[in-house]
Amino acid sequence: MKLAPFYGCMIPIKYPQMEAAFRRTMPNLGVELVDLEGFTCCPDPIFFKTKGVLDWLTVAARNLCVAEEQEADLVTLCSGCTATLKEARFLLAEDESLRDRVNERLKRVGKEYKGTVKVEHAVVVIRDEIGIDKVRESVVRPLDGLKVAIHYGCHLLKPSQIMHVDDADYPSILENLIRAIGAEPIGHDMTLLCCGKGCMDDDMPIEMIFDIFSSIRDAGADCMGLICPTCFSSFDLGQILVGRKKDTKFDIPVIYYFQLLGLAQGIPPEDLGLHLHKVKADKILSSLGVVAGAPPAPAA
Amino acid sequence: MAEENHPRVTINFEFRRKLDEIVGGDHHSYCYQCGACVAQCPAARYNDSFNPRTILQDTILGREDVLLAKDSPIWLCTNCYSCYERCPQDVRPIEVIVALKSLAVAKGVAPDAVASMTENITKAGVSGIITPAVQKIRERLGLEPLGEYPVDEMLKLLED
Ligand code: SF4
Ligand code: SF4
Repeated sequence: MKLAPFYGCMIPIKYPQMEAAFRRTMPNLGVELVDLEGFTCCPDPIFFKTKGVLDWLTVAARNLCVAEEQEADLVTLCSGCTATLKEARFLLAEDESLRDRVNERLKRVGKEYKGTVKVEHAVVVIRDEIGIDKVRESVVRPLDGLKVAIHYGCHLLKPSQIMHVDDADYPSILENLIRAIGAEPIGHDMTLLCCGKGCMDDDMPIEMIFDIFSSIRDAGADCMGLICPTCFSSFDLGQILVGRKKDTKFDIPVIYYFQLLGLAQGIPPEDLGLHLHKVKADKILSSLGVVAGAPPAPAA
Repeated sequence: MAEENHPRVTINFEFRRKLDEIVGGDHHSYCYQCGACVAQCPAARYNDSFNPRTILQDTILGREDVLLAKDSPIWLCTNCYSCYERCPQDVRPIEVIVALKSLAVAKGVAPDAVASMTENITKAGVSGIITPAVQKIRERLGLEPLGEYPVDEMLKLLED
């Protein structure tokens, strides 16, 4: 199966370990990745959107046009990109006059939005197109006994009217993907709470991160598993800063799903960039019997 | 009839019409003030001064002075989309809040951090800065170096 990833900008620039993990794990699911040229930032659905909603929508539509020209459905790796591109598709399908306004602008660069490509987050493509069985079959080192507290993040699921991924209150997609690699999803009270990144208040995100990590600690999880670089940016360094303010230390590694999948596929942790995280995963790695290996080989 | 018992309510329709012209701002008038949007709102849970229902109430009244004030509650919203999920009237409250934020940006009363977050996208086409250090980390991970993004083409789309 061929897939065209939309990497966005946060992953390739800020957290390239996520890109490396994705590029190394997908071929093991029988997927060939086709890199398309010509994308910009999705653009980001929180701040850029406030600059002008029509600007945001037009830039998103341009990215979709790039995929249309190459007749490729897009696979996203970031919940923000997913939110922007799927909402843009939704709005442009819902309102014809809006589509005309956007296309009027796209004419300046010789493009026209037609609405012929789909966009889904990679975890959804795995569930619906590749099949979770393929994940199971790719596992050579099951993550037996690893307790993963899942952080869903908001934009994979909500609004369900646009996302059509899962029940927004009782989702199961990530639990199933975690079980498929032999690990154990650990339920906790704050699993669906927002990471707080969009909030412009100084105090509120601190309280949110504190509650999420306290809840994970109480539940006895070994690490947090997530699928969004924005949530990661709240939680990896965030838990250290919040811990300092609250006079505690969480020490709960935050791991992107494709890094966990890579560990289960026997990929060395350096190739998955786990050493780049602020909160180190050494404790889990040694309990899984993973040892540091040779320097990385080129990614697919 | 005593004035105190029946205070006069003034609605600023001009402000509401401005909002109607923004994608996503136009559903504000569907709100019937049920409060379903508040139930799972993290911003309301963590800060007593925030409430998406009252933001919609102020919007319906056209209270520009409150909504576009420097310390407007709209900036507390975390963009989580729970209100959109819950609202029975298709108000899409978060989209109304984003539309309000865009009016605040246009008026120059948004928090400084907001402009700086979008600045790089309009300069380079991407949200982050591609430094030699970034390329080095990518190389060590076995990834290709990042090239240029079609920022000129993007900027043409942003001209009014
Ligand atoms: S925005 Fe929707 S959920 Fe909130 S008060 Fe209005 S109608 Fe009810
Ligand atoms: S998007 Fe904003 S207003 Fe809506 S529920 Fe989330 S924090 Fe509250």
